[in-house]
Amino acid sequence: MRQTKCCECREHVSEKEMLDRLDEILAGHKNTEGNLIPVLQTAQNMFGYLSKPVLKKISLKLNKPYSEVAGIVSFYSFFSTVPRGKYLIRVCLGTACYVRGGKGILEAMKKELGIEVGQTTPDRLFSLDIGRCFGACGMAPVIMVNDTVHQRVKAIKIDEILNLYRNRKSDSEKEQV
Amino acid sequence: MAISKKISTADELNHIRDEVKSRAAARNSKDNNQILVCIGGGCLASGSLKVKEALEQALEKRQLQDKIAVIGTGCLGPCAAGPVVLVGKDDVFYEQVAPEDAEEIVEKHIVGGAIVERLSRKNTITGKPAVTLDDISFFKRQVKIVLRNCGRINPASIEDYIGVEGYQGLAKVLASLSPDQVIEEMKKSGLRGRGGAGFPTWMKWSFARKSPGSTKYILCNADEGDPGAFMDRSILEGDPHSVIEGMIIGAYAIGASQGYVYVRAEYPLAVKRLQQAIDDAKKYGLLGANILGSKFLFDLEIRMGSGAFVCGEETALMASIEGKRGEPRPRPPFPAVKGLWGKPTVLNNVETFANVPIIIQKGGAWLASFGTEKSKGTKVFALAGAINNAGLVEVPVGTTLGELIYDIGGGIPKGKEFKAAQIGGPSGGCIPREHLNVPLDYESLNELGAIMGSGGLVVMDEDSCMVDVARFFLEFVQEESCGKCVPCRVGTKRMLEIINRICEGKGKMADIDTLIELGQQIKDTALCGLGQTAPNPVLSTIRYFRNEYEEHINEKHCRAGVCPGLVTAPCRSGCPANVNVPGFISLVAEKRYAEALRLHRNRNPFAAICGRVCFHICESKCRRATLDEPVAVRGIKRFMADQEVTIQLPEVRENAENAKRKIAVIGAGPAGLSCAYFLARLGYRPKVFEAEQRPGGMLVQTIPSYRLPREIVAREIRMIEGIGVDIETGKKLGKDFTISGLRDQGYEAVFIGVGSPCGVRMDIPGSNAEGITDAINFLKSYNIRGSVHVGKKVVVIGGGNAAIDAARTAVRLGAESVTIVYRRAQEDMPAYLEEIGEALQEGVVINALTNPDEIIVANGKVAGVKCHVMKPGNFDRSGRRRPEKSGKHFTIEADQVIFAIGQTLDTSDLFRHDELQPVSGYRIMSDPLTGQTSIPWVFAGGDVATGPMSVIHAVAGGERAAVGIDEYIHGHKHAFWRNDYPVDTSFDINADPAPFPRKKMELLLVDRRRNNFNEIEIAWVEGEAIKQAKRCLRCDYGRVLTNVY
Repeated sequence: MRQTKCCECREHVSEKEMLDRLDEILAGHKNTEGNLIPVLQTAQNMFGYLSKPVLKKISLKLNKPYSEVAGIVSFYSFFSTVPRGKYLIRVCLGTACYVRGGKGILEAMKKELGIEVGQTTPDRLFSLDIGRCFGACGMAPVIMVNDTVHQRVKAIKIDEILNLYRNRKSDSEKEQV
Repeated sequence: MAISKKISTADELNHIRDEVKSRAAARNSKDNNQILVCIGGGCLASGSLKVKEALEQALEKRQLQDKIAVIGTGCLGPCAAGPVVLVGKDDVFYEQVAPEDAEEIVEKHIVGGAIVERLSRKNTITGKPAVTLDDISFFKRQVKIVLRNCGRINPASIEDYIGVEGYQGLAKVLASLSPDQVIEEMKKSGLRGRGGAGFPTWMKWSFARKSPGSTKYILCNADEGDPGAFMDRSILEGDPHSVIEGMIIGAYAIGASQGYVYVRAEYPLAVKRLQQAIDDAKKYGLLGANILGSKFLFDLEIRMGSGAFVCGEETALMASIEGKRGEPRPRPPFPAVKGLWGKPTVLNNVETFANVPIIIQKGGAWLASFGTEKSKGTKVFALAGAINNAGLVEVPVGTTLGELIYDIGGGIPKGKEFKAAQIGGPSGGCIPREHLNVPLDYESLNELGAIMGSGGLVVMDEDSCMVDVARFFLEFVQEESCGKCVPCRVGTKRMLEIINRICEGKGKMADIDTLIELGQQIKDTALCGLGQTAPNPVLSTIRYFRNEYEEHINEKHCRAGVCPGLVTAPCRSGCPANVNVPGFISLVAEKRYAEALRLHRNRNPFAAICGRVCFHICESKCRRATLDEPVAVRGIKRFMADQEVTIQLPEVRENAENAKRKIAVIGAGPAGLSCAYFLARLGYRPKVFEAEQRPGGMLVQTIPSYRLPREIVAREIRMIEGIGVDIETGKKLGKDFTISGLRDQGYEAVFIGVGSPCGVRMDIPGSNAEGITDAINFLKSYNIRGSVHVGKKVVVIGGGNAAIDAARTAVRLGAESVTIVYRRAQEDMPAYLEEIGEALQEGVVINALTNPDEIIVANGKVAGVKCHVMKPGNFDRSGRRRPEKSGKHFTIEADQVIFAIGQTLDTSDLFRHDELQPVSGYRIMSDPLTGQTSIPWVFAGGDVATGPMSVIHAVAGGERAAVGIDEYIHGHKHAFWRNDYPVDTSFDINADPAPFPRKKMELLLVDRRRNNFNEIEIAWVEGEAIKQAKRCLRCDYGRVLTNVY
């Protein structure tokens, strides 16, 4: 069976094990009101995205129509139904960052990664998205890579930031070898 | 030592408080034994955790770790200066602290007791270090109520919160107040919702309390979605317990036993700290059953948002907590009656709740002592964008926008001009500089078409295009619209399409009215707050910046250099004459000087002149400035023009028919000559009439020759004559000829470019005495007639370029002392900064904030100037502080006074004998696009049309009128120079920017220049000029536009 990595605990586990874990989580949430969104958030964090089998399982276990589950997933931008890269890069286009040249950063980022907004690099390392303010306006323009904010980004320094993550990848692989 | 058991009485709470306090007091009994390191979001991103670690290590190394506490705190405010550190009980403030600085702080400050001035903030005026918080204007003018604990306590420690009187409000409520009394106290405080709408908090609570039903909910809206707002984030990260305490008190008041905090997913740190705070509060018995031993029960949970802006709307937020799509629903019923799961619900914003504990503790009347009559208390603003001290600030409601931006925010970086403040996010509006005095309260902002909103305040300078800003917000709302109601879903999309069209240069004038109409309809009909306020950014930018919309539509011009469809490079958009700046610079870099000049003269004949006197708007727009400093465009231009051996003639399209047409140009200044130049390139043979004996206008009459040698002017005028322009000097309009007379002689079109050649004097006592003149007259006498009377003690009144020119000319002509008197602050002087500096070097004294009250006259002659010391007052429409009288006086001795307070035009003289008078006041009104006046065959441009402006503006005005005249004659345009031709210089898009720094032009040494009129700037050698040219980032690369104005 294909090995995937659980995004939340960074362990290697099989997809089956992950689905089993999802079962446990679903059982814990079964009878709470307003449970659907927290469950989806947890699942998204575990799998990195929400595949059809996952959504179907959630729909069945919580006893909610699939259409309702899908409706929620498509409404909120946090949820993704396609696999995302290991690092989600969000370029802030909030007002402050926009005024300070966020658009230029986004263009440079697209060029550097060779992908458009909403896409993932072929090596599944980076996904690119835009953000609407991370509340770090004092240090505009900023980008957020997963949960880390990089401040006062300059278009010509993007390479340096990306290399931090590219190198981190090879390091962790070395460790595993 | 932590107490692990639950607190079940107020006494136990007091016990913990006293213990924490005595520990802190023990630490503070001596100086310098506490170091606060900000680990708020901003400083964290700047690496403050590493600073904290380094400080701890440095203390350990000296075995001081037990005596001196290093405490990580929430946001202190000045995020842009992070990481920031506060040392000791005197609050010594250090900014931009690096881990490497830790040793020095510990060694020098903690051990040695001395301040590490290197890390102190410098006073912008005196340059002296401002050591403690009280010394720094950013902090001094704030009133911290909501942020009372932010940056002061460890947000992760509930005991720290208890130690600063935390949960005392709750204890008071449970011990002695009924729910109605709590609501009564809130009423007294006058607190209004800080989420933006400003609804009185007590009223909301009272409605929910009166609603029938046993199950009620209290919610905290921490879905802070407005781009540019980060106060809720900072409160949650810096003082989460104040929000929790506020919610418990609110729950008690309305009778709720369950609460939720809805936090957006983009704030992981806020979620983490809040969760820990909730867990701690439960552990200490402050949440759950029997709070503080009472019968009151309340539980609190976090719900995380999932990235939908609309969930900040109350009904949508509740739908989202219920696990549904976050779509709003119509109100009524209001949430206070029917909210979450159909039960009565109160929803307040983070900042509102953070106000509650202290209101209960200190009483409603105490809070009501801050603020204005209708809006009480304080408001937290997130200052961001083009501002020096970006960060979080808290001020009494009613503080003016100008105070916030200049006194606290430290003004606009890089000396740029303030253009607008965007306040209230996508629901808000832009406030232009003429309203800098607006008090920041709910009503005043509404009147201006903005809203208080959550308090995001993004400052924009001249580099922001207001049409693009409106487009940005519309795009945002369009994307975030939930789609439930048509006005918001479809209406904003139609608005966005129109505005996109305008930004691409395809707009029509009718589009502006359509936008207003659509916007009004959406406001009236959308379902929720998001839709109802979505048109605000567009409507407010049209209200205050309609001219920018019109420029985009009519002139296909984006003055800020932002809109991609209208801009090749921002420098070029900044240039009034649209000179292809990156083009000629790249040609210079390849040593192709003749081609470079030709390209320059395609849009501006005066390359050599502008290389010396242009005030280079292009440089202030240069993108290289974001990297280091702008490209030295003027210096490169000067070098390029100096390389010209035989004069380069521009492309001229001979046209026998045009050559026969008679066209008159009145005034041989930059506007008239430029009009004639462009007409000649179309094959016309215009005739130029000049009143003085030499052509050149202000270039030769007032600009001193040390800035602009006369042979340079003569050379470029000869070039213009060389392509078929005939100049006749000594012919003055109104004296030697009239406009009607020109028509009788067969002239088909006339261009008036007579400038504004008359000086202005102040109407104060003594201003007609002997020894008084004005700058224009003074400079003209010397420059044209070759001599002028100069006093021994000269006072020049004014702050513009004419004042500086007159002062420096007086220095050169042997005045013993030259003093400039200017009523505003020195940084507000309109004169070019370089020249102010050069004048000071040459010994000119500047008395800023000084207003002349009276000229002292003795025996009919000037003896001195009685001056009034001014102080900066409120902001005026120009965005500068209006000088106000201080009541103090002093006198400057003088035997000559030169007024340099402005220039004007005496039109009555010019048109005395004319039946045709295309005049309104001191200017000739004309179409800014074509120069056409109310008389179809008469055109105008330059100062006479715009009021006193610069050389490059006059060149642009002349060009437009030339195109206008041609169109008037033929019915369509032939302006071939307006079509860009590609420049074939090589450029490697992947190469790093050239690493050379910007180089200043060197000047003659002061004693070699202050007694003569030799040109003071020394041109670069070729190697340097080429290096400078290579600094250009080539923003224009791959972009060619046609029909550019």
